[in-house]
Amino acid sequence: MARISNARRFKPWPYLLIAPSLIALGLILGFPVYKLISLSFERYGLAEIIAGEGVFVGLENFKETFTDPEFWNILKRTLFFTLGMVSVSIVVGAWLAHLMVKMHPGIRYVLNTVLILVWAMPQLVSISVWRWIFSFDFSIVTAVINSMGFEMDNHNYFVNTFSGFLIIGGCVAWGALPFITISIYAALTQVPKDLIEAAEIDGANPRQVFRNIIFPMLLPIYIILISLSIIWDFQVFSHIWIFLDSRPSAEYYTMAIYAFQKSFGLSEYGMGAAISLIMIFALVGVTGYYLRQMMRMGDE
Amino acid sequence: MKRTSSTTYSNISGLFAIVLMGFPVYWMVTTSFKPKGDILSTNPTIIPHSFSISNYVEAVTKEGFAKALLNSVIVVFFTVIISIIIALFASIAVARMKFKGKRIYVASILLVQMLPLSALLIPIYLLLSRLNLTDKLAGVILTYIAFVLPFVVWTLRGFLVNIPTELEEAALMDGCTKPQAYRRVLFPLMAPGLVATAIFAFIQAWNEFLLAYILLSSQDKATMPIWLAGFTNRFGTDWGPLMAASTLTAIPVVIFFSLIQDKIATGVTAGAVKG
Repeated sequence: MARISNARRFKPWPYLLIAPSLIALGLILGFPVYKLISLSFERYGLAEIIAGEGVFVGLENFKETFTDPEFWNILKRTLFFTLGMVSVSIVVGAWLAHLMVKMHPGIRYVLNTVLILVWAMPQLVSISVWRWIFSFDFSIVTAVINSMGFEMDNHNYFVNTFSGFLIIGGCVAWGALPFITISIYAALTQVPKDLIEAAEIDGANPRQVFRNIIFPMLLPIYIILISLSIIWDFQVFSHIWIFLDSRPSAEYYTMAIYAFQKSFGLSEYGMGAAISLIMIFALVGVTGYYLRQMMRMGDE
Repeated sequence: MKRTSSTTYSNISGLFAIVLMGFPVYWMVTTSFKPKGDILSTNPTIIPHSFSISNYVEAVTKEGFAKALLNSVIVVFFTVIISIIIALFASIAVARMKFKGKRIYVASILLVQMLPLSALLIPIYLLLSRLNLTDKLAGVILTYIAFVLPFVVWTLRGFLVNIPTELEEAALMDGCTKPQAYRRVLFPLMAPGLVATAIFAFIQAWNEFLLAYILLSSQDKATMPIWLAGFTNRFGTDWGPLMAASTLTAIPVVIFFSLIQDKIATGVTAGAVKG
């Protein structure tokens, strides 16, 4: 009897337990999201900071952003850059993971160790090292190219935006590869062997085994990894910022840099907020897909 | 026949990947031990022929090293302790209790994890400057807690659901109260998961650059990543000491990370493949 009435009574415990996390997230993430939305409808510059209040301007910031041809260039550049990094890191990661299953255990062990070492590199450390490898003076890459008979002397890789973005994207992909490779490899080893054997006994060839067994089982992992990569790579900031000595030229602007410059460079916080909001909206579809996949896993 | 050729191909590709992936780390460490003359040379040698610790001496005696180390330790310590406690409470509710709004709570936890940090810089900066928390370690700690929380809650939940409820139920039957059952039965079983998650939060807080860069302006508030970024000034970059400092910054992360990487790797994707 006591049990039944106990179950019907309102239980405050779960709510008390989640309350601290809700407060922390609400204050530091929830409120800023609200603030970001309201800022995007305001003129908010130095004068407004001092006054502590923005001036409502309606859709002015969005209108200004969307009519700025520079914005569309930056958006296109960001999308290309993201697409490049995501596809390279996913394709190479998947390729490596599938090879890891077949390679000699000794080689696999060393590769795994190297991947973990790279994974552990703090962002600023990996950026610093890549900058050194591709530095203007005494770069090892330049030295190797010179020794092969091409005369480059001191080469600034960042004068040309293509090679610049290639190096920055390479550094991002290098840092992301271990997580992607090890996740896919871990998933591959979880595919039950008897299932594959059964299919082989039934006469399935390797291609059919892959298409009908391995691929469907790995699909959720790929969806998660691709969504996460898109979200991470779309907002790359520190790499570009530090590779270009904290003052990237306009050809290196991506959405994140653009929003940052508008706000902290030009003190047009309303404009910066509008651009940031556009970034979030650009990712809504991807985020939704990821969320659904994770919730589905959480239910089991 | 086919099997051996594909194994050979895998092995060769594997060795190739080891060299390519490992080279930046190798180059960082070897550069850090080279004397200045060998670093500033137009003919750098892949295999170092002389050894010197002068770069390390220069790095740790560079202005701000001790302060940055201390600041990072303070930031990491409070971020880890506070976020773990808050997340532990929340994960118990999510993994062990039924309540209205649970799905919404879990969804919002996962959702905020996906918010692009660089998009939230502006309002976070304005909020903290309103609260007088810019250029203070407390402001950075507060934001770090919020940013690691979703992952920490989600991961702890994952560890918790893998512990059978029968164990706590048995303790309750034996006359334990619920908090006692948690403390005596659940927490000891959770310890490995807690340690792994704490290390994860540690690494995040230790590595974070962007928020610290925006929120901390004075030099004596700098954390390790900010200090690292300070090796480049308008006169150029001091590569040798920077590589030594980078190695020093990476070492604690490498040590801790190697302890937990298998747990984190499976934690993110746990349950995605059903055996």
